[in-house]
Amino acid sequence: MLHRTSALVLTAVLATPAMAEEFQWAGRTDPQTMDPHAVSSAPVLGFLNNVYDGLVRMSKDMKVEPSLAESWEPIGDGEGWRFTLRQGVTFHDGAAFDADDVLFSYERASDESADVRSWFSPVTEVKVVDDFTIEFYTNAPNPLFPASIANWMIMDRGWTEANNAARPDKENGNFATLNVNGTGAFKLEDRQPGLTTTLVPNENWWDEAEHNITRATFTPIQNPATAVAALLSGDVDFVEPVPIQDAARLEASDGVNIIRGIETRTIMLGFAHEADTLKYGANAGDPNPFKDVRVREAVAKAINVDAILQTIWRGSAEAASQLVTPALSGYSAANAARPSYDPDAAKALLADAGYPDGFGFGLKCPNDRYPNDESVCQAITGMLAQVGISAELDAMPVSNYWPELRADNFDMYLLGWSPGGSLDHEHPLRFLASTPNEEKRLGSWNFGGYSNARLDELLPSILSEIDPAARQAMIDEVTALYQSEHAYVPLYTQPLVWGTRDNIELTQRPDNFFILRWVTVN
Amino acid sequence: MADLSTSAPTKPGRKGRWARFADSDFFYSFKRSPVAVVSFTVTMLLVLSAVFAPLIAPTNPFDPASLNLMNGFTPPMEPNAFTQESFLMGTDDQGRDVFSTILYGMRISLFVGAAAVLFAMVLGIFLGLVSGYFGGWTETIIMRIADVQLTFPSILVAMLIFGIAKGFTPVEYRDQMAIWVLIIAIGLSDWVQFARVVRGTTLVEKNKDYVAAARLIGRSPWAIMIKHILPNALSPVLVIATISLALAIIAEATLSFLGVGAPPTQPSLGTLIRIGQGFLFSGEWWILFFPACTLLALALSVNLLGDWLRDALNPRLK
Amino acid sequence: MLSFIIRRLGQSLLVLLVTGLIAFSMFRFIGDPIDNMLGQERTIEDVERLRTQLGLDQPFPVQYYRFLENAVQGNFGVSYRQGRPVSEILLERAPATLELAAVSGLFALGLGIALGVFTAIRRNGIASNFIMSASLIGVSLPTFLIGILLIYLFGVQLRWLPTFGRGDVVDFGWWSTGFLTESGLKSLILPAITLGLYQMTLIMRLVRSEMLEVLRQDYIRFARARGLKDRVVNFRHALKNTLIPVITVMGLQIGGIIAFAIVTETVFNWPGVGLLFINAIQFVDIPVMAAYLMLISVMFVGINLIVDILYVFVDPRLRVDSAGGH
Repeated sequence: MLHRTSALVLTAVLATPAMAEEFQWAGRTDPQTMDPHAVSSAPVLGFLNNVYDGLVRMSKDMKVEPSLAESWEPIGDGEGWRFTLRQGVTFHDGAAFDADDVLFSYERASDESADVRSWFSPVTEVKVVDDFTIEFYTNAPNPLFPASIANWMIMDRGWTEANNAARPDKENGNFATLNVNGTGAFKLEDRQPGLTTTLVPNENWWDEAEHNITRATFTPIQNPATAVAALLSGDVDFVEPVPIQDAARLEASDGVNIIRGIETRTIMLGFAHEADTLKYGANAGDPNPFKDVRVREAVAKAINVDAILQTIWRGSAEAASQLVTPALSGYSAANAARPSYDPDAAKALLADAGYPDGFGFGLKCPNDRYPNDESVCQAITGMLAQVGISAELDAMPVSNYWPELRADNFDMYLLGWSPGGSLDHEHPLRFLASTPNEEKRLGSWNFGGYSNARLDELLPSILSEIDPAARQAMIDEVTALYQSEHAYVPLYTQPLVWGTRDNIELTQRPDNFFILRWVTVN
Repeated sequence: MADLSTSAPTKPGRKGRWARFADSDFFYSFKRSPVAVVSFTVTMLLVLSAVFAPLIAPTNPFDPASLNLMNGFTPPMEPNAFTQESFLMGTDDQGRDVFSTILYGMRISLFVGAAAVLFAMVLGIFLGLVSGYFGGWTETIIMRIADVQLTFPSILVAMLIFGIAKGFTPVEYRDQMAIWVLIIAIGLSDWVQFARVVRGTTLVEKNKDYVAAARLIGRSPWAIMIKHILPNALSPVLVIATISLALAIIAEATLSFLGVGAPPTQPSLGTLIRIGQGFLFSGEWWILFFPACTLLALALSVNLLGDWLRDALNPRLK
Repeated sequence: MLSFIIRRLGQSLLVLLVTGLIAFSMFRFIGDPIDNMLGQERTIEDVERLRTQLGLDQPFPVQYYRFLENAVQGNFGVSYRQGRPVSEILLERAPATLELAAVSGLFALGLGIALGVFTAIRRNGIASNFIMSASLIGVSLPTFLIGILLIYLFGVQLRWLPTFGRGDVVDFGWWSTGFLTESGLKSLILPAITLGLYQMTLIMRLVRSEMLEVLRQDYIRFARARGLKDRVVNFRHALKNTLIPVITVMGLQIGGIIAFAIVTETVFNWPGVGLLFINAIQFVDIPVMAAYLMLISVMFVGINLIVDILYVFVDPRLRVDSAGGH
């Protein structure tokens, strides 16, 4: 229903009845660019997965499977990886795909102007062996490398260079910001940034098409109520995400289906570990109680996660015990228990730590980043007040939130983490648990400055260990460490709720990427 | 208040203030207008219940320690599935009693609205008098500033001020400051109307003989402005103030929808509606319905009152 | 006369500069665009590099000066979010907002005048009292709530009208119009009502009170005494005289319509400049915000200027006054 036509073809459009396989979908955010290397954000990478392909891709159950690479194998004793490329693949404009395009895409994606270049920080050299073989050498054995480049999409050297888009340009944009020439299952027919983006099937796609779509249009709808109304009225066929409170009602209404899953994002509370004094609330300026592990444990025990899941999440989220969810690799099954809700024990711990009458502090929270973020923070404020510590809640838009956290303006804060890239426990260990170290690019989201020497020592070995059992043993050890120190209070894994009209069949992948080629319109 | 005339018996010769009021044309036309009586009664009822909210409300929704999350989403007059508690108008997502939250929220809405209008009125009257009386550069500057103000639509002004003030406020005061910033933001976008009306009256009155006479006997400009000129402008000012009050309450709600309103830990009616609209499709209609009805009743009765005031104070329309 | 216009132009320019400065100083507090531009795996190094590249490390007067310098040359910079020239984006979005504003303005004007006349003529009738009171309901609820309720009723429950967007549009060069397709017209109805309701009430009340005033004038009484038909008196004589203030107010209300389009466009996901602005705030897209605010200012100052100059033409007393004193 959102076509654009030129005046010349107006009469034709008015006469054409809508085809059954036309698919309309709506999401919260518009992918800000069509350039797969310029921006590393879920809306962009998720959308571009439909038009571009990588060397490898994720299957419906998040397993690595061949895509433009038919197979891959380690080189020697973990010096790198050798990929054998698929033959006979063409880009949307008809150009043939070969190893040179992969090399070019590597150069482009690892350029300073590319947002995704951190994926290639372990890579020391890339060698084209022949037209359909390419080798990636890494600085240390890197068992996760193939999985970590699942969202690295291959562009055509000829097309990109001919259109002056050989390097991504996030600031000023270039041809690749608005145009697409991929190898993916769909071609970009029309792009109106912020308004609509229209895709049509790529009839020359190398893989078997599972979908029956003839045309698909994406519209960003920011206001959740508007999106739900559009789904209910049949103006769109698919909406993600559906606000959790509307899920039950939508499920019950005619013509709409709800698909629920558990996302990869874990929501947690973080503390100021390093700060000497509290910054906010009634006790601003006093010594920082969160340096004491007993106080952090008291917080963990004061929060009734079950109540949050029961009411705010209406029973569809799952409590979290660690920084990743059970669905992801590296999950520590040995440490699956989380602190139980026990306000009396929390009070006792606080008294023990020297705060029998509690204290006041500041809780920072985003109000437009994660679903229900502000409600959850409000609920937490209430629960903490019941054990005597009063949080002054400061909820703000995410555009203010990250600068505040970077400037250390918090006593306690809410954070969500999704291990994009590797989808492995090592990811949050690197970004959240490791001692911050700018040079080694470690702990860059560890705002509170949590630091544990043993964890820092084990991390490099975890990253390079090839033997899964030995690796898991090390991960189990560090998980037990950060759990016992209550470095973070993992709260829950948020649910993934999608809504469709009931004539639509699709597959929900846990990383919240909507894959158009798995859609069937009945 | 409609029965004041009976409580203040008229004595010939020495009439009390109330009695004179009760005898006035103004009060007469009030009594004769059922719309005015009803809207006045509703307004007073709402204002009083907001003022005495702590005495009326069953719970204090602003005290986080008293909340039980398990009470969340309880429908009106039905016991909660977990806690068996029941609430007149149900509870919201935080387990707050909607009825109490409305009472407390109305306090904030009314306070913000009244303070914003008062601020706009004082500022507008002052600038209107000064620019009309002194003229010259003073007038040019003030009226140009008024143009800037009109240039920016009220919600944009409020968003600007909110943005800037939030940046200058130390974070630890932000929660309390939010309310004051709202007042200034809404007030600042409203003063122009007052200033224009007062300036207009001033321009007309300042050339009249009695003002010239007052000037001749050496009264100070301020005394002339306030004692002689201003009373002529009071009727339109009162009408604008009443209508602005309704507008200010609505503006606060709109700002809240755009994300620059009262904090959700201390929600105003507008914030409650913003929160409630998220539950419109989920079946928890009461979270939106009751606050929206309250806002409607409040704004409508104030508007009707303002409407009637305009007619009553405009003798030409009688 | 000419010197008056020149002086007014000069003042308007100053107004624009001040407005721009205020608007620009706000951007520092809206947030940091960097986090929206870089992914989760960015380093502090990346953050600093991008900040320098965008000139965000400069003090804000410098940033403002640069913005003005470019704006004068018609260059509003490149959107942080879309990586496209802002002027291009604004041009693309303007038709949606202008069409919506035009339709809701016409709705407000048409229905407002009709109801205003009706309630003035039937001054004490039940119907006009009802209309007068009911019209207040429209201004006693926030715009966004009215929009959501309309969507719920006509979009979801009755399914008569689309719930969001503009429907099919037809392009004429850079202008895209929704007037030529059925879905485009249907899509206009709810947003136009939502946006125009307030102005409609305003105009209705204005027309009513002006009509009542005029109907009391002597020449109307004479006209009646002369035996002219009521219809002729009401429409040819009375209504004509009420229209001048209505047009003036409507001119000033254009600003309100454009501003409240922000709310309406958000609720209906209407792809106009208002929605663009709200999205820009969310993503701290400073070039877009700055251009939008400047554009709005230019428009409003322009309207103000025109109204001022028209007044001088209409009322010679003001001409003497302004030319002499101030």
